[in-house]
Amino acid sequence: MRNVLFVAFLVFIIAGCASQGGKSADIEQRDLFDQQQAQRQQEAARKQEADKQSQVMKEQEELKRQLEEQQKRQAQAQQQEQPIVRPLPGGTVGESQLKSDPWAQLKETGNLLAKRNIYYEYDHYDIKEEYVPIIEAHAKFLMAHPDLKIIVQGNCDDRGSREYNLALGQRRADSVKRAMVLLGVNEKQIETVSFGAEKPVAFGQDEESWAKNRRSDIVYPKEPQ
Amino acid sequence: MNLTDVRPDKRFRDFLALAGLLFCLTCVREASAQLTIEIIGGGANQIPVTILPFAGEESFVQRTSQIVAADLQRSGMFRLGSVGSVRPFPTEPSEINYRYWKNEGAEALVIGSVIEKADGHAEVRFRMMDVGKQSQILGFSYTVTVSQLRVTAHKIADLIYEKLTGDVGVFATKICFVTKNADRFELQVADADGYNPDFILAHKEPIISPQWSPDGTRIAYVSFERRKPIVFVHNLLDGTRMVLANFEGSNSAPAWSPDGRKLAVVLTKEGSSNIYTINADGSGLGRLTNTQSIDTEPNFSRDGRHILFTSDRAGSPQIYRMRADGEGEAERLTFEGSYNVTPRHSPDGKSFIFIHRNEGRFNVAAVDLATRQMQILTAGSFDQSPTFAPNGKMILYASEVKGRGILAAVSSDGRIKQRFTAQSGDIREPAWGPLLNNRRKE
Repeated sequence: MRNVLFVAFLVFIIAGCASQGGKSADIEQRDLFDQQQAQRQQEAARKQEADKQSQVMKEQEELKRQLEEQQKRQAQAQQQEQPIVRPLPGGTVGESQLKSDPWAQLKETGNLLAKRNIYYEYDHYDIKEEYVPIIEAHAKFLMAHPDLKIIVQGNCDDRGSREYNLALGQRRADSVKRAMVLLGVNEKQIETVSFGAEKPVAFGQDEESWAKNRRSDIVYPKEPQ
Repeated sequence: MNLTDVRPDKRFRDFLALAGLLFCLTCVREASAQLTIEIIGGGANQIPVTILPFAGEESFVQRTSQIVAADLQRSGMFRLGSVGSVRPFPTEPSEINYRYWKNEGAEALVIGSVIEKADGHAEVRFRMMDVGKQSQILGFSYTVTVSQLRVTAHKIADLIYEKLTGDVGVFATKICFVTKNADRFELQVADADGYNPDFILAHKEPIISPQWSPDGTRIAYVSFERRKPIVFVHNLLDGTRMVLANFEGSNSAPAWSPDGRKLAVVLTKEGSSNIYTINADGSGLGRLTNTQSIDTEPNFSRDGRHILFTSDRAGSPQIYRMRADGEGEAERLTFEGSYNVTPRHSPDGKSFIFIHRNEGRFNVAAVDLATRQMQILTAGSFDQSPTFAPNGKMILYASEVKGRGILAAVSSDGRIKQRFTAQSGDIREPAWGPLLNNRRKE
């Protein structure tokens, strides 16, 4: 709407300048013609001006209409740029992706996408069978939303060497990334980082705590909390 | 709120300023996170030494003779003799009744005095006498500021240690370590006896792998303050620091070359963890290992010719040695067990220490490079991050007692054990600073 007003304003100014130009020419000539001629000329000028103004009004209206049409088209185009909804065979993932809000999908209870942790055996970084569906779910989701990115954070239990654990955590994160890339995710959508043994979620010195700390976390940085 | 808190270590600045004159650093500081040291074992053949109170020392907060005695006792290598019943204590050789001290069982007798001087200075005089020969073994005098009395005492302990054991003393060196209290990590620098701890960096994100530059003026470490591991070099003289390595992926495991000009670091920018070298100013990155396995924890030999490192190229993490230029094949050095990590050369280059997993326990072990014999030195459950004292006689490492991180030390023969505990929170990631030669004889 603002654009329309601005264009109309410009047209007014241009039209105003043109009519003023006519008037000034009029004054110059008055000394050379008699009164009648002058009157005739004034009338002609007035008529010309009225014609011009109605012309300007018409042009403005046309312009306004064109602009409104353009805006409508743009709005339509924007609607089409919303995530492409692709039904995927099987599982809850495909179904819920029909919904428009990707963040809501991620949080849905019972959806595999709500699961973000991959757990490992001691000193291992290979993905256990039971976590493959979680990785597949996130891979499909990322392929359906190529504009979204994740960070995979690798973690270890705190036994042994902090530096070796940092390297092992990197391996764990990289193994998740590799699996997702093999499933077809663009690798630019996945960043990996290792926190080694530095970000434990359980603090006991027992197998239960250690098992919880040997994990990769899938994090969507832009996900609303 | 900016949670990074970087500040210069003031004591360190003093220290460097005075190094050329007599010696070191340290001013009295409100000791907040004082470490408590507990001696657990003792050497088999302890050397007898008698240290008498120094005249005039009681007018200062730091009692020189007590610090000297505590240092020597903590080393586990000395047996402190009785101070007898003769008062006042002798402070000059002419005042010594040798027959009396011989009857008391004294062999080496240390006497001395602390005299207050103008402008906050004090003169410390000490002598070590051979009771049997009735002659002087050592004798020095120092004029220092009152704030330097503690480090003067460490220097005296170093001299006595050297004279009686033949090894270099390390009582006047520094250590650094990381403390964790709730959600606050601090990189702290303290005297080797745990006294005078002061942080040089504090953050809510973890700090690991601190390493002293060979000249003791800088510490390289890994900080997670930017939500990923990045290597920094921190200047202790002015408190400034620089990013040494911040490449894509992880940046970690800094290790100084013996000349202090470059560092080995571990980067994952090209995939798996590989070892690179980089100049101390962050320029000139070069790659040393090129494998799909984990190669990490580099450690230069003192002559700069070799690098020890951890690699899982054979399936489990083991210790390897390669040429410092990365040329040629790396040689595998550990074969016992399936988890051997964190190698560190001994200062004399004859052996190396590392963490060895043995039936679920993680302990400090040593391998003699000539015989390839392995010896397990510690008995904790989760021992980590071993670091040699610069004389190679003690090894400081991180351990755990009842779920709490503590520091412990063990002699390189495994006989003497100490334990350092903070008043609260965890201590981990120790690194023993270098020897700084700035002593002057009387």
